[in-house]
Amino acid sequence: MHRVNAGFTLVLPLRPESVDACGALLTELDADQARLPFARSTTTHFATITIIPAQMYRDRVLPATLLFATSMCGPVRVHVEELVELMGSELRVLFAHCEGFRADFSDGEMQDFMLARRHADTFYSGMNHLSPQCVKRHRELREAIEQFIDERQAQGGLTGSASEVRKEIQAFVRSRPDLAWTEERFEPTLRAWLAYHWRSLVVEGFVASLLVASVVRIFVEAKLLTWFVVGGWSLVVAFLALVVVLGVSISRAEAKQAFVAQRPPDDRARTLASMTNRPVINEFVLAGPIKPEGSLRPVFLQLAFWVVARVVEGVPGMYYVGSGIDIPTVATARWIVTDRGRRVMFISNFTNSAHGYIRDFIETRGGAMRINLSFGFGYGFPKTRWIVSGGALTDPNAYLYSLAQNQLPTWFWYGPHEDVSIDNIKVNRKIREGLFADLSPEEEKQWLHLL
Amino acid sequence: MAPPPVSETLELHDIQGLVLRGYGTLRAAQFLVLEIVDDELARAYLQGLVGRLNLARDSPAGVALQVAFTAKGLAKLGVPEGALATFSREFLEGMDDDVRAVSLGDLDGNESSGWRWGKRGEPMHVLLMVYAETQPILDRELAAERARFAGALAVLHERTTTTLAGNKEHFGWRDGISMPTIADVPKDPSRTKEKTEKKESWTDPLPAGEFVLGYKNDYQAFTECPTAELHDDPGDHLPRVPGEPRKSLGKNGTYLVFREMTQDVSAFWSYLAKESREPGADACARAIALGAKLVGRWPSGAPLATSPERDRPEQGGDNEFLYTHDTVGLACPRGAHIRRANPRDVHALEDRGHSASIAMVRKHQMIRRGRAFGPPVVATMEPEKIFAARDAPRADRGLHFICLVGDISRQFEFVQRNWIQSANFDSLYKDGDPLIAARRPEGHRNQNDEHTVAAEPLRRKYKRLPRFTQLVGGGYFFLPGIAALKFIARLP
Ligand code: HEM
Repeated sequence: MHRVNAGFTLVLPLRPESVDACGALLTELDADQARLPFARSTTTHFATITIIPAQMYRDRVLPATLLFATSMCGPVRVHVEELVELMGSELRVLFAHCEGFRADFSDGEMQDFMLARRHADTFYSGMNHLSPQCVKRHRELREAIEQFIDERQAQGGLTGSASEVRKEIQAFVRSRPDLAWTEERFEPTLRAWLAYHWRSLVVEGFVASLLVASVVRIFVEAKLLTWFVVGGWSLVVAFLALVVVLGVSISRAEAKQAFVAQRPPDDRARTLASMTNRPVINEFVLAGPIKPEGSLRPVFLQLAFWVVARVVEGVPGMYYVGSGIDIPTVATARWIVTDRGRRVMFISNFTNSAHGYIRDFIETRGGAMRINLSFGFGYGFPKTRWIVSGGALTDPNAYLYSLAQNQLPTWFWYGPHEDVSIDNIKVNRKIREGLFADLSPEEEKQWLHLL
Repeated sequence: MAPPPVSETLELHDIQGLVLRGYGTLRAAQFLVLEIVDDELARAYLQGLVGRLNLARDSPAGVALQVAFTAKGLAKLGVPEGALATFSREFLEGMDDDVRAVSLGDLDGNESSGWRWGKRGEPMHVLLMVYAETQPILDRELAAERARFAGALAVLHERTTTTLAGNKEHFGWRDGISMPTIADVPKDPSRTKEKTEKKESWTDPLPAGEFVLGYKNDYQAFTECPTAELHDDPGDHLPRVPGEPRKSLGKNGTYLVFREMTQDVSAFWSYLAKESREPGADACARAIALGAKLVGRWPSGAPLATSPERDRPEQGGDNEFLYTHDTVGLACPRGAHIRRANPRDVHALEDRGHSASIAMVRKHQMIRRGRAFGPPVVATMEPEKIFAARDAPRADRGLHFICLVGDISRQFEFVQRNWIQSANFDSLYKDGDPLIAARRPEGHRNQNDEHTVAAEPLRRKYKRLPRFTQLVGGGYFFLPGIAALKFIARLP
């Protein structure tokens, strides 16, 4: 089974009369985490369950919604089955507050409901191809090796060449039956690779075959081929035309923007800070309507996140497009466009304080432009120009205020790591990957420096 | 790296001198933490003080006075509530705040219950900083100042200082070497870095707004700056905020962070002597070598980054170095105090380059203006002698860490939280700042009492670092510009 990381997201409108009761339930569940035993799940890295209150977009009410979002690994069906098996009865009570769910659903019906209502998201994971078990094991491996090194060094050992030292470490690991798993294959299978990249591959495949077909069409006369080439290019042109039309219309809307977020009340900022004050990994949720100006914004937004998702997943073989983004402080992050493009939600699990984390993004010009692209549509975000310019780049204070304005308290959070950062998780993984790998002398040296 | 923006020239006649100088030639100093006992008299005293403060424009003539306020102090002096609310949240809440303590790591021995001063409940209002060439001049100056504010202000705490030989701190290391410089300082060639080489350098000056409010910062935007209503300022002291119907209360002011930390020199050197596994000819040399691995510089100040093997006093003032060539930390450990406090070109490298790192790290600089307090272990401050005297009885000594920043949260707090006290800084695992992080020993949910010294073929891990320093007081202050001080003092 593959360990491809993905977001499993449900965005379920709450029954109006149920909002308070649902909040009370989530408070109880958060206080007594054993009731939703994610810790026993083999497929869940993080889980956020929270209420997004009713919000206004223009003169329309966006309804109060239950947001259920796990950072998971493996096939989604397995994940959902596992959740229902582990915590079905509690989930049933929880989902009963939502429209469309019936409290008498059987386990099977509940699974079907969860799969059918899965909401699209643009998801990034710094832990791709890792399961919770991998994270735990890699850490145990590292601790065991570190302890071995400490002991051997205390006896004056491990002073040979990098290669000799590594061999001693390998021998130690082999001598430990509890670490026998380290000799199993770890790198993702072809199936896992495909499971991760298939969407990007479809796009890439389409473009590649269109190019090939266009060339072949010069020499070969065939009706089907002609249709494909003409149809394909029409699609590309239509896509580009759409981008231009959307771009121009948004640029007009940008000029009309009336509201920019102001400094949030201090007590609210303090409360939010206190909720993201865990020593290592923290979580936060942003959710809010998009800017009211520009009726094509919702369309552009959905398109932009579709493209961003391809970039995040990596476009295989095209390094200049980006074979996956690597953001040092982020464990997992996702954008969710809801209410037909009128509301955006963002959830992140990340290393360090929320304030430091969101600052991190805008400290370089390139970073600030990416932020404009991905947050610039949020209500209160400072005025952008041509989507990526202006905004956080010229008004960093307003950027911070707008995030604070859209940040919501999280009612329930499951995050198992109290003392390892996402960076540690990555290093531990490299230790595991390199342990028995074929390494050059220089790589062996570098591997030892991971410890 | 973005070029520094073209901005206005600093108004040196309106800025307190500490922003530009540490008063190194004024070797005696005392900091008075004061309570306002009579608002009216206090304002009158401050009105008189305006003309006696040393300004950034003027070299100090033998003595220098500087003044700063807490949020409580400003409120007591009658700064209108609406104006007060425009100061930064950190300043308004103060350093002793429950949420802040968790975030700064001011726990595990550094919590405010053990502080000598600066606790939330204390009526701490004013910080008066008095500098003089010699102790007798200082004593005279202090006596005169005390007579002037008698009846208006009461002394809560006297924080005395010492200047140690060779500009050192108590452990025996030269301090005050690495200092950001401010662009746009007019007519002071000694402070404007001469650009002989064309290459952009790490030590390029930062835009003034990083440290002085009312100017553009490194984002080429304005740092959040306190303001007042037009009618709050009948004396018309404050400048207008450009394009807004408000007055700028922050212009030419800066925030001052004060953290008083005791130093246990004996614990420090005993640990170095007992635990060092660094190369060295004798026990003393090995101890010094480990000390250097904790600090990131040799006692003379020579950086490990460029002088990894031994101390080179001729490089004592070197600050141009980078860590690019040393990402693993073989020369300077990743967790060494100066590398944590300022990772220069190796911050969060992963998908970013070195110049991106510099652009980021530039957003987290501080102007450090600290002074030592308490008697030195050895007057000459030579490390070998401190090593020899390491079993001498302990005395009350340490560092009044003081820094000036335009944004407490982005500069001081960010560094303290994400770099200094973090166990996981730069892929480290259970390390914390070896000099100043509160220790979280084994068994803690986020242990940070180890120090990793990268070496070939394998790192050396130093474990169970004892506490070498302890936070015993402090606070967040506002060091106003002169016009703002006139406003605060309600000069007619
Ligand atoms: C008793 C407490 C402290 C001691 C003994 C100490 C010691 C030192 C020493 C010896 C240096 C090297 C001199 C230099 O590069 O200028 C240094 C640099 C520095 N320290 Fe501290 N320090 C203390 C507290 C702090 C605190 C509380 C902070 C802030 C959180 C801090 C931030 C810095 C910074 C930013 C540098 C310059 C690093 C660079 O730019 O390379 N220090 N310190």
